Amino acid sequence: MPSAIRSASPRQNGITKLTNCRLVRGDALVWDDVWVSSATGKIIRSQSAFYDELTMPDEVINLGGRIVSPGFIECQLNGAYGFNFSTATDDMAQYGKQLRDLNKQLARTGVTSYIPTVTSQTSDLYKKVLPYLGPSGSSRRAHDGAESLGAHVEGPFLNPTKNGVHNASILRVASSFSDLEEMYGAANITPFPGTQPPGSPIDSPSSSSSSSSHSTPSSPMSNNNLNGIPIKMITAAPELGAMTSLIPSLTARGIIVSIGHSEATYEQASTAVAAGATMITHLFNAMRPLHHRNPGIFGVLGVAETTQQQPQSQSQSQSQKKSQQPIEGREEEEEEGAKKQKKRPYFGLIADGIHLHPATIKIAWHAHPAGLVLVTDAMHMVGLPDGRYAWTNGEGEHFIVKRGSVLELEGTGAIAGSSITLIECVNNFLNWSGASIPQALKAVTATPAAMLGVEGVKGGLDAGADADLVILSEEVGEEGRTELVVDEVWKFGVRTFERGSSVVV
Amino acid sequence: MRFFIRDDAAAASAHVANYMVDRINHFAPTPAHPFVLGLPTGSTPLGVYKALVERYKAGEVSFENVVTFNMDEYIGIPRDHPESYHSFMWKHFFSHVNIHPSNVHILDGNAPNLEAECVQYEAKIQAAGGIDLFLAGMGEDGHIAFNEPGSSLASRTRVKTLAYGTILANSRFFNDDLDKVPKMALTVGVQTVLEAREVVVVALGARKALALQRCVEQGVNHMWTLSALHLHPHSMIVCDEDATLELQVKTVKYFKDIEQVARAQGFEQILPSKFPIRPATLPTTIVTDEFPAPTIHSPQPTTSRLLRATPATEYPLRSRSPSPDLIPRHLRVTPDTEYTQDTEYSVISRSPTPDFMPDRMASRIGEPGLLRRSTPNPAQGLQQHQRSRSPLQNLTPRTNIMT
Repeated sequence: MPSAIRSASPRQNGITKLTNCRLVRGDALVWDDVWVSSATGKIIRSQSAFYDELTMPDEVINLGGRIVSPGFIECQLNGAYGFNFSTATDDMAQYGKQLRDLNKQLARTGVTSYIPTVTSQTSDLYKKVLPYLGPSGSSRRAHDGAESLGAHVEGPFLNPTKNGVHNASILRVASSFSDLEEMYGAANITPFPGTQPPGSPIDSPSSSSSSSSHSTPSSPMSNNNLNGIPIKMITAAPELGAMTSLIPSLTARGIIVSIGHSEATYEQASTAVAAGATMITHLFNAMRPLHHRNPGIFGVLGVAETTQQQPQSQSQSQSQKKSQQPIEGREEEEEEGAKKQKKRPYFGLIADGIHLHPATIKIAWHAHPAGLVLVTDAMHMVGLPDGRYAWTNGEGEHFIVKRGSVLELEGTGAIAGSSITLIECVNNFLNWSGASIPQALKAVTATPAAMLGVEGVKGGLDAGADADLVILSEEVGEEGRTELVVDEVWKFGVRTFERGSSVVV
Repeated sequence: MRFFIRDDAAAASAHVANYMVDRINHFAPTPAHPFVLGLPTGSTPLGVYKALVERYKAGEVSFENVVTFNMDEYIGIPRDHPESYHSFMWKHFFSHVNIHPSNVHILDGNAPNLEAECVQYEAKIQAAGGIDLFLAGMGEDGHIAFNEPGSSLASRTRVKTLAYGTILANSRFFNDDLDKVPKMALTVGVQTVLEAREVVVVALGARKALALQRCVEQGVNHMWTLSALHLHPHSMIVCDEDATLELQVKTVKYFKDIEQVARAQGFEQILPSKFPIRPATLPTTIVTDEFPAPTIHSPQPTTSRLLRATPATEYPLRSRSPSPDLIPRHLRVTPDTEYTQDTEYSVISRSPTPDFMPDRMASRIGEPGLLRRSTPNPAQGLQQHQRSRSPLQNLTPRTNIMT
């Protein structure tokens, strides 16, 4: 007897199909469907699921032409909703609780993963808080909200002349790797002290997420997977002490080295980049300005090197960044001579309209479009009313005054971070630069993912990636501004936020 | 053969999609009695799939109880290769409609035993009750599925070596690298297609003009395998104006005219069957060498008589051919219509073509005695004469068949 199989399959497979939507794919918006699984937390290869597992989605959601972006990745966040990563509490259990609350709230803004940033602090504080800030790794619970990819320590090996709001008195100079271990705590910077072979493959949260964790859930390290170390990124001034020579030791541990709060000249910055620095922390802020006779750190975004032919080097570094179809033969030939300039670092820009002029942002973007990472550098005053807020800054009592979106360190007039959200940065960038929507979204998804070495897992919509999604609608705001609005946030294949809905995670 | 010419490719595709949607909807498929669809790949049917997807999204058709069989698949490329026919079907059709994966059948070009795969495929088609409607495209050399010129018209599902021209044509999908183009494929045979209850072919563009001319205007020819369609009792070709370039003006005009006339008569040949065809109520297929009466009741599936190798009726047909559809509505005899002498319009129980009427010179003279004398069996002669003159008497048995 011939019979058709009913599509109403009784078993639930946790698969949702999002249809009638535009996906951010590279520099384009592509009309396509995306299938996500809440069981695996990943974007699934729909064709294989159909032919191999004979599965059909439990639910089909028609998005009515809205945009589906990978979840945003924030690379410079000091705190939010009244919680500062750099402020330890007497009872550290309270710290953990506040952190979890922050993660849930942060996810509602579209930020599904981030690297919590700890400013220049004393060694004690680093050792206290870093274990809590490590990568979430194998704990893949959708309703936990935003996920840490590891901590970003912004200091204290910074140049005192470019301290910004960091307390100059606690800034240090590193002369050997043990200085770093001493400052942050060896366990926070070196996995399994003594066993890490130099130059071993970078252990990113992604590659190790599959490995099982044997730690108990109650310990602060519970979120860390086997090889994960809490620190993912270090901002340092390469011109000080032996920092440049320490870069290879850091990168061998899978730690991203970012140049920032620095007086580095163009030459010093180039040397640091050649040594393995791959990021610049809030470009233009807390560094020498571009000078026409010495472009300083900004100069490394250029591609000029007298030994190279300009057009070739341009395309070379582009393809290098995208790691797509490098022309291998030529690449090898030029490897030695061009090594310095071939690697152009990624760079963070604070697009809040206060830290940088819109034209500056546009120039930087045009200098190196594939390297742009939009960051907020937001403080814990994000989401709080105007007022005077206490701030831990090494030693002593400090206060930051919030007036609208402007934050100032009390008594100095120095800009003390921002109180902007990442989607606002994207909207600012979108309207200032003339970038397309996918180009703007790339600066908070694919580019930071590549910078952190988690491409293929985060920041993309290809099959196999984590199903962290942001669903955006386009609205035309005042003066014809295009505004992207976060309508829904999906984490690990589960919808955790819906605008206008009272459902909270 | 029904032949429709539309102004452009979009209109032709829409015509086919409409036809399929009507077919499926009037079939009213159920899980126990699904509609079985044969499907092609290639650039020609893209428009049809697009239109079908639109109709599905508009809620006008459901593929929940539709079973599909694809024509062919390459051998030796991964199933998820972007150029595989699995990928094609997923990308252009299956991913957009509510068809269940268990109801989808595509030949596996990576099966360990390809011969067995082909035999199983035929068995699966039979198990599904045979194909109700086979949609097909046409190659530039007139091939249907991968049945290249010279293929046996009695062929079944099998491994097929591709012609050099086809490999060359396909290389555009493989970076123009001939080495990457699959050289072999699995394909249903010509006979497999002919066994479907209905075959609908789409031919679009000037490149198909020569093949269309061969297949429409000339006879059955194994070098233009699609021409075997002439042997099918219920086939249909839909093409655009460009594809008619090689046809005679007379041919084009003829088919356009009969379409026009048919439409004027309310006989558009898309008349859906009023009755869902169910296996339980089906009479056995009549296949005999002698036609039962001078009156043709309705077209019978006689395909296999011309292709003796494999009779078309190996598996039980669920329908006595699509006959109900071929009879114009106002000419059709339906069980809920009681025909009496008072019925105003005349009811003709035969096909629109004139009947064969026995006629002898003796009958024209008007002298009964002469007729009686020179007829071996005068009673029979008279009876036959009467019967053909009074069709109403024949209604009752035929009505029974229809129900």
